[in-house]
This record gives sequence, C-alpha cells and structure tokens, in this order.
Amino acid sequence: MNLKGAGYFGAVVGTTVVTALMAPFHEQINSTTVALAFLLVVLFVALFWGSRPALLASVLGMFCFNFFFLPPLYTLSIAHPPNWVALTAFFTTALAVGQLSARARRKAQEAEAGRREIERLYQELQAVFERASQAEALRQSERLKSALLDAVTHDLRTPLTSIKASITTLLDEVRGRSPEEPLVTLDSESRLEMMEVIDEESDRLNRFIGGLIDLARIEAGELHLRRRWGAVDEIISTALTRAEPFTKGHEVEVDIESELPVVRVDERAVSEVVYTLVENAAKYSPGIAKIRISAARSDDGMIKMSVEDQGEGIAVDLRERVFDKFFRATRDGDISTHQPSGTGMGLAIAKGIVEAHDGNIWIESATGGKGTRVVFTLPVGDEEPTEQAESSAPLASKL
Amino acid sequence: MSDKPRILVVDDEAQLTRVLRTGLSSRGYDVRAAADGLAGFETFSDWHPDLVITDLAMPNMDGLELCRRLRAISQVPIIILSAKGEEKIKVEALDIGADDFVTKPFGIDELLARVRASLRRANSQVSIEITQTVLDAGDFHVDLESRNVTVRGREIRLTPKEFDLLIYFINHSGKVLTHHTLLAAIWGGDYVEQDQYLRVFIGNLRKKLETDAEGKSYILTEPWVGYRFQPGE
Repeated sequence: MNLKGAGYFGAVVGTTVVTALMAPFHEQINSTTVALAFLLVVLFVALFWGSRPALLASVLGMFCFNFFFLPPLYTLSIAHPPNWVALTAFFTTALAVGQLSARARRKAQEAEAGRREIERLYQELQAVFERASQAEALRQSERLKSALLDAVTHDLRTPLTSIKASITTLLDEVRGRSPEEPLVTLDSESRLEMMEVIDEESDRLNRFIGGLIDLARIEAGELHLRRRWGAVDEIISTALTRAEPFTKGHEVEVDIESELPVVRVDERAVSEVVYTLVENAAKYSPGIAKIRISAARSDDGMIKMSVEDQGEGIAVDLRERVFDKFFRATRDGDISTHQPSGTGMGLAIAKGIVEAHDGNIWIESATGGKGTRVVFTLPVGDEEPTEQAESSAPLASKL
Repeated sequence: MSDKPRILVVDDEAQLTRVLRTGLSSRGYDVRAAADGLAGFETFSDWHPDLVITDLAMPNMDGLELCRRLRAISQVPIIILSAKGEEKIKVEALDIGADDFVTKPFGIDELLARVRASLRRANSQVSIEITQTVLDAGDFHVDLESRNVTVRGREIRLTPKEFDLLIYFINHSGKVLTHHTLLAAIWGGDYVEQDQYLRVFIGNLRKKLETDAEGKSYILTEPWVGYRFQPGE
C-alpha cells in the first residue's frame, strides 16, 4: 500500500516538476522536447513503481502537455489539428512505455525471486544431503561397533564355554549326578585334563582382556613409552625366549647386522612386537619350517627388523587389513593341537607400538616368494635425552 | 564297545571338543570329534554315530550346511551348540531338522540331559506308527479313531486343528519345534509367516490341557524359536 502511494505521489511530483521547470520557457522549447520529458517521467515511474502509477503519470502528463504547452495555452482545447496528433501520439506512447517498462520490471522481479527460491532450495538440499551423509556415517560406525562387539563377545565366550563345561564335569563328580546317569568316576587323567583346560582357557581369557586394554590405550593415544637405551640383540633374544614354547619344532635363524647402534625404545614393548611376530610365524607355518629374524640398518637411518616364515603367506589384498583389530586372515584351531587360537589383536597392538615409536610396519612376501615377511622400522633416536611419562600405563598384555 | 551310544562332536574349538570328549566318555558314551562340518560329515558317513552335536560357525562347512547334508541321508538326532547372537541361524538349523539346541556357555548336565532326551526320542520313534489307533504318551491318552483325548484321565474337547496340533506335538515330544515347522505341518506352507495364528492356537490348547494340571506345563515356550512339548512322566 505504502509503495503504491509512493508511486502515485512520484507520478504527481515528477509531472509537476517537469511542468514547473519547462512551463516558463515554453516559447523556447519545442513541444517534442516537452513530450519526451513527460515520457521520461512515465518511464521512471513505471520502472520504480509499476504500471498503475505509470498510467497516472501518462494521464497527468497528457493533461499538463495540453494545458501548459499546446496553444491555446491554459485551456484544454487545441487550436492546430496537428497538435491533436502530437497529443494522441504522446498519450499512446506514454501508455505503451509505462506498461512495457512496468512489465519488464515485474519480469525482473520475478526472475530475482526465482533465483532466490532456487538458491534457498539448493541450500536446503545441501543441508539434507549433509544430514543424510552424517546419518550414513553414523550407521556405518554403528555397524562397525556391533561387528566389533560380536568379535569381542565371541572371543570372551569361547574360552568361557570350555571352562564352564570342564568345571561342571568336575563338579558333577563331587556333587553326584542325576539319578538317570550311571555312577561313573573320572579317571585321574581326565580330571587332570579338565583342570588343564580350565587353566589354559583362563590364561587365554586373561590374555584377551590384556590385549583389549592395550588396544584401548593405543586408540586413546595413551600408550606412553618408557624409552631407554637398549641393544637390538637383547630385545630379540628376550622375545625368542618367551616364544620358545611355540618355536620348539621350528628352525629359528637370527641374523643381526654387526655394530648396530643402540636404540632408544621401550624395550618391553618392542620385544612384545617381536614376540607377536615370531608367535604368528610359528602358528601359521608348518611345524619344521624355518623362521628367520633379522635386524639391520636401513638406508634412511632407521633400524629395520623383520620376521619371516615359510607358511602359506598372506594375500596382497589382506596385507593391510591384518593390522585391523579383530581381523584374522585364517581361522585356526586345528583339532590335533591344543594351541589356543589367535585373538585378532596381536598385529593391531604391534602396529600401535611401532607407530608410537615413529616407526612403520608392513607385510611383504618372504624371500623366494613363499611365506610372509613382516617388517618394521624404528628410528635410531640418538638425541633427546628427555624421559617422557616414565610410569604411566605400561602394556597390560603378555600376548 | 558297540553297545555304547556313539556321539559325534563337531566344533572348530579344540579345547571344547577336548572337554566334551572327556565329559561324555566318562558317562559311557563313545565319542569322536571333528574340527569342521566337512570332517564331521566324513566321520558320520564312516562311523554312523547315534547322535551329532555340532557348533554353528565353523570353517570349511558350517553347522547349518552340515545339518542340511545330514538330514538328506539320515534321521540322526542333532543337537546344536549356539551362542547368543546366532538366533537366526539357530532357528534355520532347527527348521532344517535339527532336534535341539544348547546355548553357550552351558553346563555339562544341561548337555547330557538334551543328549539323553534326544537319544530316547530317537529310540522310541519306531514305536509310533500310523497303524496305531491309540497314542499313549505321559499324561496323554489319545484315541485316533474317535478323536477322543484324555489328560490324566480327564476328557478334553478339542477343535480339529487343535487336535492335529496336539498329535503333532505328541509325535515330536521333547523336540524343539520352530514356529515355521509347526505352521507348515498344521496349516501348510502358505501360512509359515503367520506367527500370530500359532500363538492363538497354542494359547487355547494350553488353556484346555493345563487347567487342572496342578501347575504343570506341557507346552513349553522356547523364546524367539518355537515350542517344545513335554507329555509328562
């Protein structure tokens, strides 16, 4: 309403101003110039306020043109017939200019509104897409979480199942069994076997829980290393002593480059890495196959250590995934051995330890193409004598 | 040694087969173990055990496939070792024809009880024949010709469908029957998704059978799986 009012007001003012400016000089100015000036008013009014104020400007313009500029002056009559033509031409042109420019203005406004609408829709769409992709990411992470939970519960329940079955077998003998069962006592060998299972499976549970704690620490970035100066050969020999029960049948070859510099590492943690790799090598290669452990200086000033077996090897596309937690390249559990199966955490923890030392770990094919070689690097670390976080959070597991 | 019932244990978990072998052997069973479905199937073909206990998740051939293969050649009772989280595949195995399940971790008593029940059922199955006109099972006495049912001497009036359901239950006493199996057996294959049908019928049948039964339950619910019928005594 306000805008419309302003339009009509503009039409009146514009026409009045043109009339006031030109009327005193009507002798000097010819009527075409006057008509064009009025047209200009109509044009502006149409562009700013639309067609109806422009119509008013046209009518007022015609009126003033006739009254003030066409002889006889100050009357609404016209003396010369050609001036009729001029007045009619003026009015028609004014009407047309007003309507056309008003329409152009409306079109421009509509186009602008359209553009804004598209922009708004686009932004809305973008927001929706963003929300959808966030929801998808959330769903994926939920799926991952539930897969991890499944893996963890399976690994917790499996030893528990053996323990429960053993212990109830033993309990039954003490308590006496249901009347339907014939009274059978376990021989001492069976009893021993049940207890062995309980013992071994409790250890397995404990190892698994220790591994979970280590993983949690690594993921939270809370694996603090106790770096000390140490010799590589000592670290390797500590690991090999621990791994002896697994490597008994294997031929173990150790190849350490002479005059290796001492390293500033968390010896226990690095020894843990070597132990995990040796244990894996023993577990996934045939009983008498060779296991080769080597340590040497690499070109880039790092110490490069590797553990190599003659087992089946790991397919190229699985070589990164085996470092994911709970991922197992093979499911073990050969009936003929009593070897507890893996937890799917060893390599994930090894990777965490190596990376905490600013090293790298990866898998290659072993020499001769058969078997697996796991390689990791450690910086020599010759400066920086600062001890960091001495006592916090040591490794929980002895995998 | 041939009079000892033979049990085949199929599980990829070496420690568990070790325990089960010892635990079951000490109760007078002849036990062999296999580490996966494939090895289990081979042992079954050579050795003809009286009962199979199998895990579900195994390498090479899983428990489900083993059940399928076994059912194709034999009616040997099958007990499934399942874990929470494997319900779907467990029900599938029962649909295929596995007889019973034990949820991990389990006490040896529970497993032994299931073993005894399954062996007993397998041995008695021969005696239930279509030529029979009278079914006697626990508290139940059914005349198949007059369709007369008595529970602990009390006569019960059943609708034709309820009667069919009861006969099916009696013939499969002690066995876990999935919703799917019951629906297919009584109403036919088109109704296998109509769980609510079954719930209503079971509810009515229970009311008729179990009033006056001194708190006894004949139809036991196996949550999310199906029902198990215990005729009493």
